[in-house]
Amino acid sequence: MARDLSYLFPEMTLSMAVVFMLLAEMVRMPRLALAFGLVGLALATGLTLPLLDVNTSVFSGTYRIDDLSTWAKLILLPGTAFSLVLARAELAGKDREGSVYSLICLVTLGALMLSGAGDMMLLVLGVVLTGLGSFALVAYPRDDAATEAAMKFLVFGAVTGAVMIYGLTFWFGGAGSTLFSELGNMRGGSLVMVAGLVATIVGLGYKAALVPFHFWAPDAYDGAPISVAAYLSVITKIAAIFAFAQVLRDLPLETGWPLIIALISAVTMTLGYLAALVQTNLVRLLAYSSIAQSGYFLLGIVAVGSNTLALQSVIVFGAAYVAMNLGAFAMVMVVGRSLDDFKGFGRHMPVAGVAMVILLLSLAGIPPLFGFVGKVLLFGAAIDAGFTWLAVIAILNSVLALAVYLRIIVPMYQQPEDGAASVTATKQPLLTLVWVVTAVVTLIMGLAAEVLL
Amino acid sequence: MNLITLVLLAPLLAAILILPLRRWPEAIALAGIGISFAAALGLLAAGFSGTTSQVILPGLPEMPLRLVATPLTSVLSALVATVAAFVLLYAVGYMGKDNEKPRFFTTMLLFVTAMQTLVLAGDWITLLAAWELIGFSSYLLIGFWYGREGVAGAATRAFIYTRSADLGLYIGIFVLIAAAGTTEISVTLNVTGPAAIIAGLLLLIAAIGKSAQVPLYDWLQRAMAGPTPVSALLHSATLVAAGAILLIRTAPMLPPQALLAVGLVGGITAVVTGLIALGERDLKRMLAASTSSQYGLMLVAVGAGVPMAALLHLIAHAAIKSSLFLGAGVFQHDRDSTAMEDMAGAGRARPRIFAGFAISALALAGIPPLSGFFSKDAIIAAALTTPWLAALALVGTVLTGAYMARALHILWAGKPRATSSAGVVWMGAGIAVLVVLAIILGAGFPALEQLLEVELPVSYLAMALGLAAAASGLALGWFVPAAQLLGPVRPWALRGFAIAGGFDGLVLRPAMAIARVCERLERVLYNGVLAIGQSNLELGFITRKSDEQGIDAMIFGLVRRTIAAGDRVRLLQSGLIHRELALTVIGTAIITVVLIAAPMYF
Repeated sequence: MARDLSYLFPEMTLSMAVVFMLLAEMVRMPRLALAFGLVGLALATGLTLPLLDVNTSVFSGTYRIDDLSTWAKLILLPGTAFSLVLARAELAGKDREGSVYSLICLVTLGALMLSGAGDMMLLVLGVVLTGLGSFALVAYPRDDAATEAAMKFLVFGAVTGAVMIYGLTFWFGGAGSTLFSELGNMRGGSLVMVAGLVATIVGLGYKAALVPFHFWAPDAYDGAPISVAAYLSVITKIAAIFAFAQVLRDLPLETGWPLIIALISAVTMTLGYLAALVQTNLVRLLAYSSIAQSGYFLLGIVAVGSNTLALQSVIVFGAAYVAMNLGAFAMVMVVGRSLDDFKGFGRHMPVAGVAMVILLLSLAGIPPLFGFVGKVLLFGAAIDAGFTWLAVIAILNSVLALAVYLRIIVPMYQQPEDGAASVTATKQPLLTLVWVVTAVVTLIMGLAAEVLL
Repeated sequence: MNLITLVLLAPLLAAILILPLRRWPEAIALAGIGISFAAALGLLAAGFSGTTSQVILPGLPEMPLRLVATPLTSVLSALVATVAAFVLLYAVGYMGKDNEKPRFFTTMLLFVTAMQTLVLAGDWITLLAAWELIGFSSYLLIGFWYGREGVAGAATRAFIYTRSADLGLYIGIFVLIAAAGTTEISVTLNVTGPAAIIAGLLLLIAAIGKSAQVPLYDWLQRAMAGPTPVSALLHSATLVAAGAILLIRTAPMLPPQALLAVGLVGGITAVVTGLIALGERDLKRMLAASTSSQYGLMLVAVGAGVPMAALLHLIAHAAIKSSLFLGAGVFQHDRDSTAMEDMAGAGRARPRIFAGFAISALALAGIPPLSGFFSKDAIIAAALTTPWLAALALVGTVLTGAYMARALHILWAGKPRATSSAGVVWMGAGIAVLVVLAIILGAGFPALEQLLEVELPVSYLAMALGLAAAASGLALGWFVPAAQLLGPVRPWALRGFAIAGGFDGLVLRPAMAIARVCERLERVLYNGVLAIGQSNLELGFITRKSDEQGIDAMIFGLVRRTIAAGDRVRLLQSGLIHRELALTVIGTAIITVVLIAAPMYF
């Protein structure tokens, strides 16, 4: 037991931090809550480093400490820290500010559960923990749009969650255990297997905003504060994708799950980019773009049962995705929600303009940026697993992606129609910090990876 | 990271960075060129310690692109980097008030990158690409002030002149590659026989165009329309030098027949453009004519079979001519004109700049112990083996002394006027370094000879003759008015041998006819390209129309329905969730069916 606990220092640190954050919020000291959160996240990240080469599981195999979950911590914890900075920039001085910080950290705790889950119970726990916190975060502004978005989010979550739990009971019945590692010993025919698999896809597909479980995402992102949208589009999505990897790599390939994941991947990225193409609201555009990006993630998941490149590619693209998506949302907070706000922005603020171009081109997967490296690995993983057609569809979608992101880039360098007055950018040091760091990471990691690989 | 890539990438990245940022162009440009300069010096140091390096990039199949740093190329690269660095330093002052600075510095850096690529190129394809880039970016630079009268014409003229001569390079390279079966320059230098003669003559044509030799020298004087830093860079170590560098690098391959032609072209150019310089009424145009003349002397050295002497003169001339141009630029700033009559006395008003100018002028004339003396001595010594070449070289030397002395006389003798211009500190800094180089470079020549493992002929006769020619030239130029000196040739020289006399009909007119045919050809091509572009546009319009009516209509239809649905949400929230949940259920059903069916097929 003591051995097990020593592997859980990051999670324990984070939950302690959440407790302190709630206390700070109770005494109306949101800045203290923020400080607790940032320190806790930094500490947890530091405590994760000794786990880098560990490959084991704790609590009788229910919680895995392996490459996937360790890297999930190294990606999600700093990503959460940046989300806190974004939230501070947006909500400073508002009512209930500290509760947003503590909720964000709590949801991250759930995300860590998801990405390390080795057991159905823990999977459900992770889904519920991330879900409940997220609903409250979306509803934070308490206006009509936010309430409506949160309601929709909640109803979707309730339905998919119910289906998921119901379906998982079949797996438990068939395998006689809730451990994923026992899934290979399933008895009771293929229908039992299918029932559990469908349930997992529904539950995690909702979390990762895969088509056809994505309907909540654009509304929820648009209704929520932008920083919360940035957070949800990054942290819970990656956690769900990693949970997919944890479940599916133990599942026998004969069930045909790679095929259905590949189909969902193809549909998700195509529909995501098509819908993004007609948005004029930047938040909705980024929401659809992040739906499409989760389609790309599935390229790696497809291969997770057959080759080792798959996990690596999902982790690398996960890191890249956190950097570029948070950066892009930060830029939306700087400039504004509407596509028209970006008109002339690149001329008005050249450095920020270049950073935004870097982030968007990375999202589109243009070399030599970080996003490109991740996508190349994903394509490689899918092709290795025999899904060449899927890689071709993904590459074709990259063209569509470029069109989507160019719709933002091109107006940035147009002459504003009625003078420079139309660019109303807010220059907040916190936001600047986020977009500078994410753009630099996107650029440097891309170059570094190209040198290393 | 190889130093070669650093030499090339630093200015290129700086250029790319300036363009979108549009801020601090000077600082970025100086940083880029500074890194490139340091890397080039590193290459040179590596050359002295005996290591050569190369970078091989994937290119055509079996014909990779190569960049090589041999002793010769690293010397040239260091030369280009040095001059470029200090000219850019000067440009910070010179362009201080121009509001198109980003464009200026970007183009300059592009130009330097292209020149470095040319110098370091290890295969013909890279060299050709760099050669074209140089031509293109010099066109941009000469035409920098395109709004001013005559500038666009001058830029176009320079471009077409050099372009038509480039035909020689293209065909020459094809001949060489066909004969040697590889694009690697060092291997193609082993070609012999008729292929070598043909290729040599074709390369000479290319060099004539780029180095402004007879009969294609006219464009260089007109190219003065660009900003002074551009002229300084074009005339010393870069654009014009490309022709000479081409011949120096290929000299081992050239058979005697081709060498004869090279020497002949060089000798005639040295004399003819020397005369033009003597009669010129505009300081910058005089310097331009002098550039042609000095490159003529270099070709004489190549023709005499001693390319090393040409290289030494190229190096010395680069430092000297760039400092002369930069000095002239200061005077131009003071007087707002480049005409000699307006310049009278400008030197006296700025004694320090004038001192630098005068030292460089004496160095160009070949007065010891300045660098020009050593290099000119090497050329004359090399030419002594062929009497008529020696005669042409000596006449060229006399003329050099004469026109430089004349310029000095005019700058010093007139009445000084009050001066007022900003940015002279930067300009002075650039000039000072280049003048110092012009003085001391001669001392480095023995080391260079050692590095390149060439021993130059030493001849006291040549030294005496050269010194006498330089001294007599200087004396003539200072004491005798140009009008008397030129005598009956003067009207021709004034028109730049414009070539009203027999010259035009014999040489230039055919060349111009070729140029015009080329131009017409280009126009046909241009029209063709336009037509293709037009049809593409049409295609684009059709596509757009079909997009608008087909895909767009669909998408917008979807959007309209979405918006309509959105409107309904406001009235009846749960309605939409129902529908979306229904879609989700349908999707789940499809997933289930596929999963049940999948094992049957796979």
